Amino acid sequence: MKNTEIFPIMLLTVILASATGFSQAKITVKGSDTMVILSQKWAELYMKKNPAVSVQVTGGGSGVGITALINGTTDICNSSRPMKQSEIEKLRDRYNTLGVKIPCAKDGITIFLNEANKVQELTIKQLSDIYQGKVTNWKEVGGNDAEIRVYGRENSSGTYVYFHDEVVKADYAATVQSLPGTAAVVNAVKKDVNGIGYGGAAYAVGVKHAKVKKDANSTSFLPTAESIGKGEYPITRYLYMYLRNRPTGETKKYIDWILSAEGQMVTTEVGYFPYK
Amino acid sequence: MKKLFTITIFTVLSVYGYSQTQMIDSLKEVIEKHEGKINALDERVLVNETDLGKLNKIKISGYIQAQWENWGKDLVKTNEPDNSFFIRRARVKFTYEALDGVKFVLQPDFSTGNLTLQDAYAVVNIPKLKDFGIWAGQFDRPNYEVEYSSGQIEVLDRSRVIKAIYPKEKEIGVKFEYNGSTIPLKFQLMAMNGNYTGKEAKDVDSKKDLMGRVVYSFKLPDAGLGINIGANGYLGGNRAKTNPYITNSMGIADSITVGDYLEKKWAGAEMQIFADFLGGMAIKGEYMAGVNSTPSTIASTATMTQKKSDPNKIKNFSGYYLYLIKNIGRKNQFVARYDFYDPNTKLSGDAADNDIFYKTLTVSWQHYLNDNIRISLYYEMPKNETNAAYPSDLKDNVLAVRVQAKF
Repeated sequence: MKNTEIFPIMLLTVILASATGFSQAKITVKGSDTMVILSQKWAELYMKKNPAVSVQVTGGGSGVGITALINGTTDICNSSRPMKQSEIEKLRDRYNTLGVKIPCAKDGITIFLNEANKVQELTIKQLSDIYQGKVTNWKEVGGNDAEIRVYGRENSSGTYVYFHDEVVKADYAATVQSLPGTAAVVNAVKKDVNGIGYGGAAYAVGVKHAKVKKDANSTSFLPTAESIGKGEYPITRYLYMYLRNRPTGETKKYIDWILSAEGQMVTTEVGYFPYK
Repeated sequence: MKKLFTITIFTVLSVYGYSQTQMIDSLKEVIEKHEGKINALDERVLVNETDLGKLNKIKISGYIQAQWENWGKDLVKTNEPDNSFFIRRARVKFTYEALDGVKFVLQPDFSTGNLTLQDAYAVVNIPKLKDFGIWAGQFDRPNYEVEYSSGQIEVLDRSRVIKAIYPKEKEIGVKFEYNGSTIPLKFQLMAMNGNYTGKEAKDVDSKKDLMGRVVYSFKLPDAGLGINIGANGYLGGNRAKTNPYITNSMGIADSITVGDYLEKKWAGAEMQIFADFLGGMAIKGEYMAGVNSTPSTIASTATMTQKKSDPNKIKNFSGYYLYLIKNIGRKNQFVARYDFYDPNTKLSGDAADNDIFYKTLTVSWQHYLNDNIRISLYYEMPKNETNAAYPSDLKDNVLAVRVQAKF
């Protein structure tokens, strides 16, 4: 068989094969721990309305979700940070698409302090210095004379990466204690008078929020619906869903519902904010 | 009696009180002791975490490609086998991320009969200018197909033109790279020895070769399209160290002075289109043309007749490749590549002699068994130019099956 004959036959086979086998009755969602509560709530409500569809949600961190997306073991990846260029390249090399990024909610990364801590507000620079280990005593930022105990997330967490890239902008100090999940960070700060932590607002129960300001001369803001909606709160970010391809079938219906007014109402119920 | 009772009560209460105080003291002691132990454990956990943090900076990855190949009869020498199992690649990559933006990479290859150092380099991202990086050491030349990992490439090997002008893919030198995070632009400029063959570790002449590449990326998310367009160029040379004879592009013998530099310069254009079309599809292509040279390796003590028979060579060449990659669901891929390489564009037919052009069609099917295992079937069909030296198309098709395991 000549080269010129074999090529169109194989191409036709490919196109025919491509057109089949894309239906999904089960949707798997994996990734950001920050988004687990929100994502589970979405899944729960959607399955109630659509009993024929099964939505399975697991956490593990944004990094884990992105790896699962690249490896083909999840349909939707929840990520609390944008995908890195190197991750997009891996996805592109494997699937020949650039992936689909869908902002689905807004979040303000909240700075957790113990309720007994007299510090009320912190600048981005002060937060960076604390997490780099340059500031180690609360009195340096207006608090008591006590050592600061710093809690953070594991490096597979999107919040860890976002906080690193947008706030710390340098290596985290070795003294930052990495904890598995925002709930664990909140718990640690709740028990530790001299503790500080960061994470999604939805988890902040039993701790107080520090006001955050861009610099010493700026106004400080708490992460409220208003300040996040207006973009005033300095550590505001989008939460994303990532897919390998543009959604079709049940996945598309599910995502359309999440982005609808009904789906977006859930964001505020669990402590986040609508994406627009 | 009453007095005795009072004394007894008093004594009992005193003893009880004393024992209570003692108990509290002893409890305090126990708590303090345990507090000390917990604090010591805390410190140890912190030390262990710091040590583990250091280990986290080391990443080990790699892949093994076990292959079976069957060769057309013109690729087989007399009494040699026409097929074989072999290990095409067995690479382990060690990456140490010393600091944020500082990385060291070491990658040996242990494939059949071939223990080589593939990569050995350091990358430093310029502090506060994270999009800028400086590479130093041995690494891939800045070209799309060269930089596309052997562990990812969807056909048997890189295209013929790329293998001819960038042998062994690697070079030793320094690279400046800008990879824009806000502007979708990539710029690479490399200064290198320019004579890497896998064996020669040092430069054979004083001049360094330069290679540059710029790529701009467009994204059209609504259409599910991503397009990269780029241009690249190479400027360098080889020194004629032993032989004063040269054959130019027209096949005409001429003479030069020993010590002269033989030109190596070419330019190329590239495009990659990624389309979210029925599960993902890519079309990738690159065209390049220019002048390549090969210095004679004959000994300086050889006779003039011997030197004349093995002269330095300088040739105008051109080549291109075009890929079509189609994902079929999550686990399969169909790939077709058409590539062309003419090692001497100035001559054709009988005048070209051994410098015949090749047009090669390769088709392959990839099946991803899981995250780590890929099974591939390839069929490569080269078609050569015919002339007096090559009167018909050679029987040089290659059928291959590859199993790749990566970790």
